[in-house]
Amino acid sequence: MPFKQVPQKFNAKINALTIGVGEKEITLGGENVFPFYTFDAPIENSPKIGVEISDLGAYTDVPGIAAYYAGSDTLPEIAKRASEMPGADFLAISLDGAHPDNGNRSVEDTAALVKSISDAVDIPLVIEGSRNIEKDAKLFEKIAEALQGKNVLFLSAREENYKSVSAAAAMAYGQKIGAESAVDINLAKQLNVLISQMGVKTESVAMNLGSAAAGYGFEYVATTFDRVKSAALAQNDNMLQMPIITPVSSEVWTVKESIVSEEDFPDWGPAEARGVSMEISTAAACLAAGSNAVILRHPESVATVSKLIADLM
Amino acid sequence: MGLFDRVFRGSAEMYAKAEAELTAAISELGESAPMKMPDTAYFLSCIYAFLGKKVTTLGELRDALAEIQSKMTTNQRLKDVFTSGIGTAMAAEVIEATKYARTPTPYDGTDYHGHFSDAEVRELGVPLVTRDIPGFVVIIDPAPTDEEAVALIKGYQARGIFVFLIGGVIDQALRGGISMGFPVRVVPVGPDIWAVGHIISLVERAAMIFGAVTPGDWEAFTEYSFHRIFAFVNAFSPVSDITVACGGGAIAMGFPVITNDKDDMWAVPKSLIIQPDTTDFIETSLEARDIKIKVTNIDIPVAFSTAFEGEIIRKKDMRVDINGARQDCFELVRSRATQDVEDHKIILDGPDIDKFPEGGAMNLAVIVDVYGKNMQSDFEPVFERKFHSFLNCVEGIMHTGQRDIIRIRVSNAAFEAGFRAKHFGEVLYSKIKSEYEAVVDKCQVTIVTDAAKLKELRAEANIAYDKRDMRLQSMTDETVEVFYNCILCQSFSPSHVCIVTPERLGLCGAVSWLDAKATNELDPNGPCQVVTKKRPIDERTGAFEDVNEAVQKYSHGALEQVTLYSILEDPMTSCGCFECICGIEPASNGVSIVNREHTGITPLGMTFSEMASMTGGGVQTPGFMGHGKHFIASKKFLKAEGGIARIVWMPKALKDTVRDRLNKTAKELYGIDDFVDMIADEEVAEDAEALLEFLAEKGHPVLAMEPLF
Repeated sequence: MPFKQVPQKFNAKINALTIGVGEKEITLGGENVFPFYTFDAPIENSPKIGVEISDLGAYTDVPGIAAYYAGSDTLPEIAKRASEMPGADFLAISLDGAHPDNGNRSVEDTAALVKSISDAVDIPLVIEGSRNIEKDAKLFEKIAEALQGKNVLFLSAREENYKSVSAAAAMAYGQKIGAESAVDINLAKQLNVLISQMGVKTESVAMNLGSAAAGYGFEYVATTFDRVKSAALAQNDNMLQMPIITPVSSEVWTVKESIVSEEDFPDWGPAEARGVSMEISTAAACLAAGSNAVILRHPESVATVSKLIADLM
Repeated sequence: MGLFDRVFRGSAEMYAKAEAELTAAISELGESAPMKMPDTAYFLSCIYAFLGKKVTTLGELRDALAEIQSKMTTNQRLKDVFTSGIGTAMAAEVIEATKYARTPTPYDGTDYHGHFSDAEVRELGVPLVTRDIPGFVVIIDPAPTDEEAVALIKGYQARGIFVFLIGGVIDQALRGGISMGFPVRVVPVGPDIWAVGHIISLVERAAMIFGAVTPGDWEAFTEYSFHRIFAFVNAFSPVSDITVACGGGAIAMGFPVITNDKDDMWAVPKSLIIQPDTTDFIETSLEARDIKIKVTNIDIPVAFSTAFEGEIIRKKDMRVDINGARQDCFELVRSRATQDVEDHKIILDGPDIDKFPEGGAMNLAVIVDVYGKNMQSDFEPVFERKFHSFLNCVEGIMHTGQRDIIRIRVSNAAFEAGFRAKHFGEVLYSKIKSEYEAVVDKCQVTIVTDAAKLKELRAEANIAYDKRDMRLQSMTDETVEVFYNCILCQSFSPSHVCIVTPERLGLCGAVSWLDAKATNELDPNGPCQVVTKKRPIDERTGAFEDVNEAVQKYSHGALEQVTLYSILEDPMTSCGCFECICGIEPASNGVSIVNREHTGITPLGMTFSEMASMTGGGVQTPGFMGHGKHFIASKKFLKAEGGIARIVWMPKALKDTVRDRLNKTAKELYGIDDFVDMIADEEVAEDAEALLEFLAEKGHPVLAMEPLF
């Protein structure tokens, strides 16, 4: 019997979320089929890759990353170099140095620093927080003000601070925000409902559903992403139709496989190659499960994942 | 003269003043002179918001004023009062704007703030939107005395309310030494009533910035301020016509006006409130605007944390022992009328802890009275049950039991740190106000330690408990309007949905219908949502179209349909946290129920864990069902298959737990006495053969029932 293809495209679709301005602006989401199901219907906006740097510099404890940024000394230079990485669609800045336990840089100084980065690059910006909920609310407000008109995405608004982040970043200054939850479809949906009840348009919201490095409970991530995408498309649940953005690098560069030295584990081979493999495999898995954007660090990972996306589209 | 006429007269007055000021400014500066408020992208924002006009010159301002006048209609209708009132606010903006036409800094060198910049609107807007600032008050004109003015301002400050001052009250604040300015949240706006133009300008810009309301959409602006801006006005006697007109505008925007002026004033429920006693202004105002102040800190001399929840206080470490089994002790939550509850009042009736013998017994009752617009007496037991965890979190306090069988121990260390009876009140007040913010407006705690009064009070409390129990017992699936779902467990059992009904509580045993109802009201976006029951399919099995739709929705499509009362036809699924599992025992045509605590084998040849692996995970397995212990005595238990008469086996401990209630149900359903004695347990049978023998010997009703298959 001949194979007859029945396209599985849905009447619902993922919201299209644009970040950045001008020629280099990017759009996440917008598709009405499952991830990479281009045989069902064309996917207009391919998944995007962000390159992550810290406000303390590049993550140079990995030799390959250090080599890539060699010669870039100031943060704006590092940012510019990151923005030129082949395959990079946007720049993600982690505000590590603003965390109270890690230097506690002031809100004003951090905003000025981020502004200097923004002035140095032309690709869209994603501002990751300091991982301190209270500080983030204050940081995002000031940075949103400093970067007015730049259309940046703030990661993330969480259950504890979504009110401040929504009001300050999305409402007062018209920026985009990411709603962060911990690998749970109901919590994700609840947060989206709460944020939209604040008066933030659903089109201004992305979701960071959380992640895990491959092998570290990734099954939960995969099934959560899967369920979110199928609720969004098959059930037309508009509180789950936000595009998904997943910070991968912060998960993978801390696990044992990426950091233990070759001296300690001679059978495992060079540490850097392992880290890159972790980053690539986790990113690929996230994309296959439904991420519309992933955030990575290593130039080799960025090159490989960008080729993967190009080949699958 | 009526209230309407006062509004119309006041608005005409404001208009006349605006026209005079504008004419003077034009003759001085010319029509084409630029008209720009400093540091704003929203022009004259009241006019821009309500009329959609971008005023940039004095000439354009004159055109706008003409349009404002056309809004000041004077028919004896509420609508005219509203449009005239908002017209008055716009005219006020015109008067203030003429000052800015002459210089961008007309208030320099004065105590007044004047116009707010866009940056200030955003700075104030963010905490207003997040409710970190619960609201703001506009205080107009001097209070009867300086002391009253200072007390009022400080009272609002203490509650985090942003304060704007207009007119003579500013001088009172200055004399009273109140520090003022944007950062301390007390802003002296201007000396005259037209300074309200600046405040309304701020409100309308907030609507444009945070609400993306389109300029010119009059109704959208009033709607936005009504729903999103928690403001209100306090106007002191004597209130002039022009202030009354501004009040009309405030009410049109959803901001109630509270005044102590009784002359020529007409109270309008929820909008214009006459409160002669200025010391009650704050409470009256907050209630009128429905503002709830968040309570975050607990004022007690010892620590409060979940870390202390499991703390055991031994006899030798104990200062007093409060024991409901020996003395008259109890806990009770009562919902009362607003006038019977004074917020944060804590009353100690009787001697304090230090008057009781060291290491000895103490009698104590805690009565918590709450008032709330959305409070329901069904929530009383829900709050009461939380006392246990609230009080246990206190360092040096151990709490067990509930109602009049409580047992509380206060440790020597807590006593020495200063813990006294009133601190029970502080803890409960803070926790109830913060956790049940959605339904509790006011909360008052009475601690009674006077033995003479306790006997009678305890009897009264028991009447209240009995009433509640009666209500619970009388509640059936048929008598309620709606059921609730519960998806609390979906984090680890993604496709499971519980349908919670009065006669079938959640399978974990922790969520009854009342709990689900309370959870829904307290957290409307939370895990429990209303499930209607309007379209029954089959009464016998408890199948409803609405329930099926809810199950499909909340399982994200994993489940199609469930029944509420059948174990064979689409039984309800289980997450994994069931208290008991019920499974068909084919030899007897009955069912065995095994509870989680029982580790032995059942006549089905399986243990609890083996049965659990077939039952959990949100999968429908006909013949197996997870459920709560309380469900066993329900008339709806296995109703489709003939009810509780199908139960042939239960572990002894479980039998003892449910004995009384199950016997009662059996008597009511079948007229059988001591039904539980006919049910086998692990001592008489662990296999089918011995089970059948036992059932035959006891004459168990299942033997006469139709085969299950």
